[in-house]
Amino acid sequence: MTHTRRQFIGTIGAATALIGAPSILRAQAQGTFRIGALCPVTGSGSPFGSGMQKMIIAAAEAVNAAGGAAGRKIEIVSEDTQTSPQAAVLAAKKLIDVNKVQAVLGTWSSGVSLAVVPLTNDANIILMNTSGAPALSVPPANAKGLSYRFQATNDRFGRAFAEICEKEGFKRPATMAFNNASGVGNTEGFRKAWEAKGHKVVESVVYEPNQPTYRSELQKVLAANPDVIVTGSYLADTTIIMREWYQSGQPVKWVMPGWAASPDLVKAVGPDVVEGIISVDSVSNENAPSYKAYDEAYRKATGQPGQSNVYAAMTWDMVHAVALAIEAANGTDMAAINAKIREVSNPAGQQVYTYAEAKEALKKGKINFEGASSVLDFDQYGDVTPDFGVFFIEGGQLNRRYVVKI
Amino acid sequence: MEAYFIAIGIIALIYVILSLGLTLQYGLTGLINFGHVGFFAIGAYTSALLALKGVPLVLSFAAAAALAGLAAWPIGLVSLRLRDDYFAIVTLGFSEVVRIVITSERWLTNGVQGVPGIPRLYDSLGGSVAQLAVLVTVLAVTLVGVWIIRRIAGSPFGRLIEAIRDNEEAVQALGKDPARFKIQVLVVGAALAGIAGAFYAHYITYIVPDQFIPLVTFYVWMAIIMGGVGRVSGAIVGTAILMLFLEGSRFLRDIVPGVSEVDMASVRIGAVGLLLVLFIMYRPQGLMGDYTKR
Repeated sequence: MTHTRRQFIGTIGAATALIGAPSILRAQAQGTFRIGALCPVTGSGSPFGSGMQKMIIAAAEAVNAAGGAAGRKIEIVSEDTQTSPQAAVLAAKKLIDVNKVQAVLGTWSSGVSLAVVPLTNDANIILMNTSGAPALSVPPANAKGLSYRFQATNDRFGRAFAEICEKEGFKRPATMAFNNASGVGNTEGFRKAWEAKGHKVVESVVYEPNQPTYRSELQKVLAANPDVIVTGSYLADTTIIMREWYQSGQPVKWVMPGWAASPDLVKAVGPDVVEGIISVDSVSNENAPSYKAYDEAYRKATGQPGQSNVYAAMTWDMVHAVALAIEAANGTDMAAINAKIREVSNPAGQQVYTYAEAKEALKKGKINFEGASSVLDFDQYGDVTPDFGVFFIEGGQLNRRYVVKI
Repeated sequence: MEAYFIAIGIIALIYVILSLGLTLQYGLTGLINFGHVGFFAIGAYTSALLALKGVPLVLSFAAAAALAGLAAWPIGLVSLRLRDDYFAIVTLGFSEVVRIVITSERWLTNGVQGVPGIPRLYDSLGGSVAQLAVLVTVLAVTLVGVWIIRRIAGSPFGRLIEAIRDNEEAVQALGKDPARFKIQVLVVGAALAGIAGAFYAHYITYIVPDQFIPLVTFYVWMAIIMGGVGRVSGAIVGTAILMLFLEGSRFLRDIVPGVSEVDMASVRIGAVGLLLVLFIMYRPQGLMGDYTKR
């Protein structure tokens, strides 16, 4: 067996040499601030991931074009989470230990964010995510207050759904949820908020992904005679559910998250089917100049309109928030930077929309950066608190009727 | 840099423990187990849920091994009546059943929301010392596993299970009952997978059903095929090759110019696939040689 052992040791040696050989151990160059972009470029997050990563790079270019932050250039090192917690942990380890990044931005799925956050906490660096899971707000995940969430939590979505149902006068809601953290999170959040108002949910169905038909689930829900069905669903499954519901002919209203009841849904099933559906989405800051800057960058990088990827707007804002905090802290000490994140983003202060403008204003006094994805105000948990737009689908158009604040 | 290597080392050793179990089951006994990840998941959830209830980690690890081993028992009983290829389908189905049960039993497993905040090993030591301690512990457990498998392979029991692999009818003709041995092998392999699962859960600190997809099983298969089926050294070397391909490819961007950051992710996955294909084309018997074909 000596032969085997020698071969084995040789393999390990070769492995070490191969990993160690390239000049990967670039020391942190003087005058740069290194940020890790950890996006779901492959795997189930891939429709969003590449756009998210491109916007991190584009935003860093915008910051650097305006002279950098605290006299330093922002340097981006990218890794792919593969939308898998295990791959993400190793990628994050590499970013932190090999590339020595001082912030990790852009984790997307809750599973990935929850697996990465212990590592960033250990390293005392910032993690910014676009995940929905409530567990990210509180210890142990956010024990050090270094984690920031740029997406509305599923819980908040659920509360918004409950507000809307009450306002619209619905009495007998039922829920249908896609069986993943986000889908079930939406409907569970709704149920909690709805029951807290002293009402009852008449039926709840959770369905498995990737089915060719959802007829039996739909029949179960419709058998309870609801006046409205609240969903935590995605586009593909919603398309099938809408067709099958339309064929059933039973009148009922629908309240859906914006990523399901989107213009694509209208295109897929036709305006007659989706007439009157209520679509709820966190309000992107579409009329703000920051959104225009983002939209322009996104079109340039991908050839698509900015609204096709809400998460890319969030990663765009992430780089801005970090860079402004560095500028405000006037250094690279992480504790000082972390203390400034809320200060540059939350109200009280001059409203600013682009990095160059914000940097100027910062010299004069306090600023309030308004992002592309939302007005970017963080609560004590590091969660953004966006408002929710309530859209009614009328004649194939999504018309915003009102805004719900929570 | 060291912390990154330690992380790779821990994940690699967890896969080594998994492939040791499969080496015993497939390499030595010839059982085509396509459901290895099911036992891995049972181990991960058992230890995680018990630890969160305040059970000491020593006990929760033991429970993970015991429960995963126990879960293999009925599979073993089924295997008595099935030919090899059907057994493969049953085990694949089993691992999917495990995943769907975990997804559905929300009162216990928190369903698709997953179990966050699983306590880490040696957390009180803090930072890199704790990581090193975890690595040493996984290494020690792996070495014990290697020792056990080698002892089994060298024992009369080992010769018997290899005989089952090579010619089951002949074993029966000699008056031995292959079924009993198959069950024992399955239980031991599953218990090893359970321990691997426990280490995984306490290392990643967050588990969710999505992590326990059949891909994990096939990573382990890739590892033992590349290392050399039926050899303990093959399980170790194969895992090393797999991790080398998966992690080494991260450094492609430092060598390959002219590829954008975003495209790099796909180039990387493509490179891993290409390496795997090339490796198997030019070394089909695995690096250490296929013992079963001798």
